Amino acid sequence: MKDLMEYIAKSLVEHPEDVQIHESGSGDRVRLELKVNAADMGRVIGKSGRVANAIRALLRVAAEQQGKQVTLDVLEP
Amino acid sequence: MNERPTLEIIAPTVEEALAKGLEQLGLTASDVSVEVLDTGSKGLFGMGGRQVRVRLSVNPPPGMGSPAKAAGQPSTASAPEREADAAPAAADIHDAVLDTTESVVSKLVHQLGFEAQVSAHYDGEDREGRRSIHVDVRGRDLSALIGRHSEILNAFQYVSSLMVGKEAKQFVQLVVDVEGFRARREKQLRQMAQRMADQALKMGRSVTLEPMSAAERRIVHMELQGHPAVITKSVGEEPRRKVTIAPKE
Repeated sequence: MKDLMEYIAKSLVEHPEDVQIHESGSGDRVRLELKVNAADMGRVIGKSGRVANAIRALLRVAAEQQGKQVTLDVLEP
Repeated sequence: MNERPTLEIIAPTVEEALAKGLEQLGLTASDVSVEVLDTGSKGLFGMGGRQVRVRLSVNPPPGMGSPAKAAGQPSTASAPEREADAAPAAADIHDAVLDTTESVVSKLVHQLGFEAQVSAHYDGEDREGRRSIHVDVRGRDLSALIGRHSEILNAFQYVSSLMVGKEAKQFVQLVVDVEGFRARREKQLRQMAQRMADQALKMGRSVTLEPMSAAERRIVHMELQGHPAVITKSVGEEPRRKVTIAPKE
């Protein structure tokens, strides 16, 4: 799950070196926290959160294949 | 000056070929020289005719107003150069952007946990002269990649458009299809549009369809555009915007 998030995030931002992902959670719940460069916040969130919601939809599909539930939080830099 | 980038284009008319070529190169008519290689032939009743073939050569930049924003761009492989490398015929150009599309989308599909083959080609131009890239994803058990109301497929299409656009350093519009789903859906929408138009006329009042994405609403509008007795419009706010079909006054 973390690999998927990392691949997507690094492909969207201007500063891939600043992408940080923290994975936590227990059992079948996974929580991802994404940190990017302040200048890239717009790229991973999008207008009205459109990009972030699309990413959440994709994470959900990947999680379902493993019988898990995933939440994504984009953290303020 | 002999190695000026060139691009060969095949189209029904010289004008169309020129417009198409300039669009691909991102240049204006004053930036290129045009050479007509084949004037084509009309054919009988417009059938079996040969299309026109033209070659565009990019003029050396006059120092200012050069097409690419070269300053500060890490990649100097600007559009004219890339296009020139891979432009035997407009219909089957397979350039660096398509390569990027295939590799990015295929990696994303695999990361999502699916086994599938990915192939990309350019779509025909739309009314505004833009070309989108059609991406076919084929494999087994891909229904999870479509999702309910194609929610997942649309998310996948949106995210991969952004990823490819970033990688290719230009805006790209991808249309991602999984196992021919979009084509089937389009046919279904067209049939439904006609059926609902009939119903609107029979009942003498407007009929509202279920909420749809902009792309799907567009299909309905286009289908009924030429209809003699009904008009269509979209009402409501995204993401619950819907098409209504009403009898003409």
